[in-house]
Amino acid sequence: MSNIINIKNVTKEFKVLNRREGLKGSIKDLFSRDYKIVRAVDNISMDIEQGEVIGYLGPNGAGKSTTIKMMTGVLEPTSGEILVGGNIPYKNRTKNAQDIGVVFGQRSQLWWALPLIESFNILKDIYQIGDNEYHNMLEMYQSLVDIESLLHKPVRQMSLGQRTLSDILAAFLHDPKIVFLDEPTIGLDVSMKAKIRDLIYALNKEKNTTVILTTHDMGDVDALCRRIVIIDKGKMLYDNDIEHLRGFFGSYRTLKIRVDGKLSKCADIVRKELANLSVSSDDEWISILVDEEKTTVMDVLNQLRNTFNIRDMQLEEISTEDVIKKIYEEGVK
Amino acid sequence: MKKKGLGFYLKIYCKILAQDLKSKMSYRADFIISTIGMIFTNIAGFVSFWILFHNFSSINGWGYYEILFLYGFSLVSLTPVQCFFDNNWSLRAYVYSGDFIKYCFRPINLFFYYQSEIFDIKGLGQLAFGLGTIIYSWIKLGLGFSPLMLLKIIVFLITASLIMIALQNAAAATCFWINNSFYVLDLVTRFKDYAKYPVTIFSPVFRFIFTFIMPIAFIAYYPSLVILRPDAVPLLSWLSPLFGCLFFWLSYKFWMYGAMKYNGTGS
Amino acid sequence: MKIKKYLTLTRAGIIESLNFRLAILIMIAGNLLYLIVVYFLWKSIFASSETGVVNGMTFTDTLIYLVLATALFNFMEMYTVWDMGRNIQSGKIVLDLLKPMEYRSYLFWSYSGSFVTNFFFTVLPTFMVVIIVTHGAIPFGINLLFFAVSVILGVMINYSIDFIVGTICLYTESIWGINIMKQVIVLLLSGATVPIVFFPEPLKTIVYYLPFQSIYNAPLTLLLSRNPSYETVLIIIGTQLIWCIIITAFGKIFWKKSLRQITVNGG
Repeated sequence: MSNIINIKNVTKEFKVLNRREGLKGSIKDLFSRDYKIVRAVDNISMDIEQGEVIGYLGPNGAGKSTTIKMMTGVLEPTSGEILVGGNIPYKNRTKNAQDIGVVFGQRSQLWWALPLIESFNILKDIYQIGDNEYHNMLEMYQSLVDIESLLHKPVRQMSLGQRTLSDILAAFLHDPKIVFLDEPTIGLDVSMKAKIRDLIYALNKEKNTTVILTTHDMGDVDALCRRIVIIDKGKMLYDNDIEHLRGFFGSYRTLKIRVDGKLSKCADIVRKELANLSVSSDDEWISILVDEEKTTVMDVLNQLRNTFNIRDMQLEEISTEDVIKKIYEEGVK
Repeated sequence: MKKKGLGFYLKIYCKILAQDLKSKMSYRADFIISTIGMIFTNIAGFVSFWILFHNFSSINGWGYYEILFLYGFSLVSLTPVQCFFDNNWSLRAYVYSGDFIKYCFRPINLFFYYQSEIFDIKGLGQLAFGLGTIIYSWIKLGLGFSPLMLLKIIVFLITASLIMIALQNAAAATCFWINNSFYVLDLVTRFKDYAKYPVTIFSPVFRFIFTFIMPIAFIAYYPSLVILRPDAVPLLSWLSPLFGCLFFWLSYKFWMYGAMKYNGTGS
Repeated sequence: MKIKKYLTLTRAGIIESLNFRLAILIMIAGNLLYLIVVYFLWKSIFASSETGVVNGMTFTDTLIYLVLATALFNFMEMYTVWDMGRNIQSGKIVLDLLKPMEYRSYLFWSYSGSFVTNFFFTVLPTFMVVIIVTHGAIPFGINLLFFAVSVILGVMINYSIDFIVGTICLYTESIWGINIMKQVIVLLLSGATVPIVFFPEPLKTIVYYLPFQSIYNAPLTLLLSRNPSYETVLIIIGTQLIWCIIITAFGKIFWKKSLRQITVNGG
């Protein structure tokens, strides 16, 4: 398999202004300024294969968009090497642009006042797309989503969901090797999110396009990505399969039960009985975190059944969201 | 990838222009009000000019019709900047909000792509007004007519336009460094109002400044001399087409440099 | 009266504008350049008149008048129409309407911070340059007090006119067209481009009956007259006061009516 993107020891530093506080501070800033160097991306390396869908995750300000800007050729790395489709993006920005598509969740790149089809026609010229390829692409779009109703609508009259959909279609129009999607589902309702995810999934399968997805919505990640990369404070925390990620913290599941009798009292008894497990309780449920490598949920249930009359129970998998949250909060051990 | 020459860019520009005009027509009320606004601006400019000459019969040896000619000349030469480069006014907002980055992902020239987005049709009213003024004063001055003169005035109008475009580009591009660059753009716009007066009214130091540093003297004065005072055309007038191209090229480089540098500092 | 909540807005405005260091420098430099242009232009204009006194104004008078008119213009210009128009189009106005303050006052006090900075960075330096250049041609005395009172009234009239024009944006999408018309009319008829005494009859009489001259012409006339009779002062300030009341009241009613209509129609 060939790598479409190679990133080797890339670092990016910015000079930022330290602003002072308050009215007095502002007047001081007028005469003397205090700069500091911030390392937005710190020694990151990764290789990405053609056709992969990668979830690029991290809390706000982690350095995600800086990395993406470097891959799209808008930013020059302070040090390190980036190759995108064999090009150095910063040096061959326009050449690189031919190979990539970019979508920013809330910044439409389409012509605001024009109907979608006219935007597509202009893009056809800009990217020098052949007539045949262009028509095939539109036909494929038609088979994936109901594009007909959108084509003759000016972008500014579209809902946010329709706009995002249009932007994604526009990004794939010239059949780029890589598409960068920056929070494509931000601010969308549940059904629109599902629609967008299906579309991205289908386009990736159809054209074997590499997709690099940044998002804060773990639903996107679960639906689309097999591999995820997590960065925080510019440093790479994790780069591996998504299944692997869950195992990172052991195979935990949460057992929730409801019992006859006073809840807080029962919880204390459970705690005594299951001294080696972590037990918590709220107004309705007693929650027991079970590490399945040590003991099974069934064993725990059987043990409790001897003491209590269990009225109701629930079993919860630890979600990707929980794991990511844990990583953001604690880092990787 | 095919080579992207002038034809490629021209084709794209025409396509965007045609679409843009079509969509503008759908906002009829806005279009009409803006046009009226533009006419108002021109009339007001003319009225203050007329009030001035109502009190004084000449300025620095330049008569009413000669100054009127300069005035018309400056109006026409300001048309291209109004029509084709109006998006410069929005640059600051795009940079401030970070939206500017969306222009950086296309495989075509960034400057072209950015400016192509807007065509301001209002400028055409100004063009008509300016042409009318030139023709009227031309007749009143009894300048006569020859094909050579026509060629001269066209070349020098283009020259003057290039200078104004260059000034505006440079002013707009300052927003890549300065947060509130509106003042710079506003300043340049205000100064173009003074382009219609002969540069000889200034002291030598400022004559130098307005010729080489902030070249507003090239917007109307130097080029008009070729038509108005054919017997005493200074070398600078003949050189002005050269200066026009030079200043335009410099401003383009400055704009692009700013755009790259801005992206470099992130948003 | 909870003056504190208003002053908080003023303070925030000052902090915001101080962040733009280079912008302030450019503002100062731009004003100086502008002063120079006006100086030379009118000097050469007066040089071509025989007497040196035109319509009762000497070159120095005209210079002071125009320069301070521009300084006042910069001081008062708050881009109210632009901001209102944009907020209305983007729907952000709904958020502003939820603030525990009348929208009119909220907007005014948000701008008041820039009044303070503009005063220190444009009005005061310009004033000082004018005093130096004209060797103290501005009389010092009770007229400064009249001037201050008159400027405050001018600010209020100007803001009220802006607010009315901004309200029109609730009805039309054409912010640019509306704004440019307002700006052109106000600039010309307030005497900011050419002093009103230079206007020919009957234009002059008409202009004196309009509210616009109360913005710039009134305070400047008070500043420049050496020994004004109390009658003149009373008439000028009285006229301003009447206009201020009429326009403010009209603006308030217009805003209320428009807002009701908009809320009923659902924007």
